[in-house]
Amino acid sequence: MKTTSLSQPSLGTQLRALFVIALKDWKVFWRYPLNAVSNIFQPIIWITPVYFMGKAFSTNGQALGFAAYSGTGDYMSFILLGTVLANFILTVFWGMGYALKNDMDAGVLESNWLMPVSRLLILVGRTLTSLLTTAITSLIMLVIAGALFGFKPTGNTLAAFLTALPMLIGLYGFGFAFAGLVLLMREANTLVDVSSFLVQGFSGTNFPVQSLPTWLIPVALALPLTYGLDAVRGWLLQTRTILPLNVEILLLIISMFLMLWFGAWVFYRVERQVRTLGTLGQH
Amino acid sequence: METTLSPRSLGRPGFVSDLRAFWAVVHREWTIFRRYPSWIIALLIWPLIFPMMYILTARALAGPDGSGLAVFLKITGASDFIGYIVIGTTVWMWQNIVLWDVGFSLRNEQMRGTLESNWLSPTWRFSYLLGHTGPQFISMLMFITITALEFGLLFHVRLHGSLWMILLMMLAAIPSIYGLGFAFASLVITVKEANAFVFLIRGLVMIFCGITFPISLLPGWMQSIAKWLPQSYLIHGMRAAAFSNAGIPALLPDLVPLLAFGAFWLIVGYFTFLWMERRARRTGAIGQY
Repeated sequence: MKTTSLSQPSLGTQLRALFVIALKDWKVFWRYPLNAVSNIFQPIIWITPVYFMGKAFSTNGQALGFAAYSGTGDYMSFILLGTVLANFILTVFWGMGYALKNDMDAGVLESNWLMPVSRLLILVGRTLTSLLTTAITSLIMLVIAGALFGFKPTGNTLAAFLTALPMLIGLYGFGFAFAGLVLLMREANTLVDVSSFLVQGFSGTNFPVQSLPTWLIPVALALPLTYGLDAVRGWLLQTRTILPLNVEILLLIISMFLMLWFGAWVFYRVERQVRTLGTLGQH
Repeated sequence: METTLSPRSLGRPGFVSDLRAFWAVVHREWTIFRRYPSWIIALLIWPLIFPMMYILTARALAGPDGSGLAVFLKITGASDFIGYIVIGTTVWMWQNIVLWDVGFSLRNEQMRGTLESNWLSPTWRFSYLLGHTGPQFISMLMFITITALEFGLLFHVRLHGSLWMILLMMLAAIPSIYGLGFAFASLVITVKEANAFVFLIRGLVMIFCGITFPISLLPGWMQSIAKWLPQSYLIHGMRAAAFSNAGIPALLPDLVPLLAFGAFWLIVGYFTFLWMERRARRTGAIGQY
């Protein structure tokens, strides 16, 4: 006997599913408008101690030590740019791994899994709204923080944006692999918090990686994000980059393909295992 | 003849039953705590990585020749910039963890759907909140000890003062930190989605209390706000005890306001709980989420 599914998956249905997931998240996000306010002000709160700490390290308002590492004494522009990019990094980590955890807790993961939609597409769908809201809140944050601390980009914004694209797409690979780990481990908060914090830290969101202790520099150089952050700053703030800009961009493009392939491979392996074990509905 | 029967509860409330309820909550929370072993990783990693981000930024600001560091040490009066930052960030993490754990304890219960049924048991309801605080306090002690060990062993941070004075400062801070947690836990039951409030309170500590810099660097109006936050006194006092060998007389300007804030927040915490309890019964908000 041949079993036929009532569903008729096509590109149209996949796109519709993507849209519905994003729309649902959009409604949920704006249901709690305080979250938007928090997304704007939280990064400002986090970098305020750095602003005052920078003053404690400066002579006549000049952060000369910082300039020796990065090529710019404008440490607040350096950090603000890193913070905006870090917001997007967090979005992909939280957007996929944490969304799966929320679905587990709400008891809807198993039923969502039964949909005739690619599971990677479900994961991508969970990030679309957060990418848009992150873009909106980051822009507002940049305006406010610029007024408070000063933000002076002097370089090529379009080139910086185009450089950031392969970095962000490659991040999805990270996110897929990570979502797989969340499925396996279930308790994701610590995992998400610690790993995103470490990745952000070692890729140099708040400081030039050249200032890391020697034994940590290889860790930073092994992360593709390091080159993304470095190249975007190189374009926008004219900082001294670790490698020539074209080499960094080439590395970003290669790592984008590698991370996407590796992330999807890890996710599907883990997902199959979880289905075999029957632990998908547990939390 | 008409007989009126007054409804009688089977429960016999008393001090012993309250203690038993408190112990039951402690036991349950401890069981849940152990159920997810990833807390071990969190307990080992968070004390290290959160201060690390500020420490590494400080290294970058110091420059390859360390010229900025000399300026920092002169302004702060500290002998060790790592220890200086670690004390500030540890106090911040303490308050932050209490807000999440104690502050959301009743809310989590509400989300699980068990708050209403627990509320019906004939016990002192404040014991639920106290019960949640027990395991949290133990894990916090472990957290602070691990912080001290990690930075002592890995980064060679050394005390130039009395450990007992540091412990005295921390002891004096317990009422204000947990009192704030109690008040917060009660408010969360009413306002429900309260993540933004945690971000606000911990943000105030982060901005105004000088976790990585001396408060004297803040503009005047910000220094005035800092005086109303107990964590400012705790951080200042702990740094003085750790690095300037301050004794009780030198610490009194920090200890007295810290204890006064402690009494204030404990009273506010308890009365906010009573207010929430009455309001929740009147409006039926306990079971809603």
